[in-house]
Amino acid sequence: MSYTFTILSPTDNPLFTHEFGTSRSGGDGVARFTTSERALNPFIIHSALDIVEEVQWGPSTSSGSAPMYLKHIDKYQHNYISCWITGANVRFLLLTRPRDEALGLGGGGGSRGSLAGGRGALGGNVYNPTAPATEEAVKNFFVDVYEAWLKTVMNPFFSVANGDVVKSPVFRQRVAAAAKKYL
Amino acid sequence: MTTPTQSSSSGGGAPGLRYPSNKKTIYDRNLNRSKNAELSRAAFAYLFVEMISYAQKNVRNLVDLEKRLNEQGHPLGLRLLDLLLSRTSNPLSSIRPTRILPLLQFIAQTLWRHLFGRPADALERSESDAGQYMLYDNEPLVNQYISLPREMSQLNCAAFVAGIVEGVCDGAGFATESVTAHSVGEQQAEGGGTGGGGGMWPGKTVFLIQFKPEVLEREEILGRGGG
Repeated sequence: MSYTFTILSPTDNPLFTHEFGTSRSGGDGVARFTTSERALNPFIIHSALDIVEEVQWGPSTSSGSAPMYLKHIDKYQHNYISCWITGANVRFLLLTRPRDEALGLGGGGGSRGSLAGGRGALGGNVYNPTAPATEEAVKNFFVDVYEAWLKTVMNPFFSVANGDVVKSPVFRQRVAAAAKKYL
Repeated sequence: MTTPTQSSSSGGGAPGLRYPSNKKTIYDRNLNRSKNAELSRAAFAYLFVEMISYAQKNVRNLVDLEKRLNEQGHPLGLRLLDLLLSRTSNPLSSIRPTRILPLLQFIAQTLWRHLFGRPADALERSESDAGQYMLYDNEPLVNQYISLPREMSQLNCAAFVAGIVEGVCDGAGFATESVTAHSVGEQQAEGGGTGGGGGMWPGKTVFLIQFKPEVLEREEILGRGGG
């Protein structure tokens, strides 16, 4: 599976982007996007923002607070978007592109690699973004990134309100480590 | 608009980056390290006096001065919002306020406790204006060592705290027209001093929080049942 992770400021500016592949099931952690897919990803992610704005305030029955983890919120073709929204309305968006086999597209249903990236592939080979295991893995990833994000934000030289781009290589390492650990 | 660069700066070998001598970056520190840490009042007073004189440079009038103090507090509010949200609950079930009331309670309880070691003294909704809320502090810590000259009696340096409150509201997605700090004691003394607050608490300060109309509109739609 291939992933693109983006942090968007409250004013929809991208502050950080990271691309990686799964490290589970023998994955090498390298994203396998084709050139055209790679070009399309930012559009898919930005279009998901509309959905984020719809769901971020929670159902009207809620007691006035909503979780930061919005789970799986959008799908475009075979790209699945999960979202985490911080208290200050900074959006973490994770785009998941399962391998063709995991979608049941690649033919050769019983082929050797078909279980790769199948953490969410319960009850068959088909990738399911709302499977509990997938949701949990993505959540753990987001929790780790959120902690690193908090530390970034607490830096007095990081201008929160102006939407500073995160340049710290240490932050990127942290994100990569969380990705390797959980996804 | 700036776009972040991809992957070019991965790895720790970036030439411009310098690590502290103990090799610990901010990412290696525990976020809860300073959870129960307290700063001495004197140290704060010294710092705050410097902040005020900094804000006072080339200032045109008192409104301008309060605005500058407000701006100093604003980024602090944005940061504290996320920090305190992450501390109040188990990070695995992180929640954020989505209605006005929980947000204000968060400010009056959690934020005030974090900043001043006690909750705010009262929280009221204005009767005349649905978008206006009043947060009372009987004895603002920031004003403790401040005595105002007569010609500046309209000034309230708690504008700094108002800026923090504004930062929290703005950050959480509740845009405010303004958050301002006013002394209550004075007004009541001028008006005959009937209210108990003025006499008991000469430094009593009210923070007026004025939300923007769109926030109220959203609140109404959400309360109605998703309509």
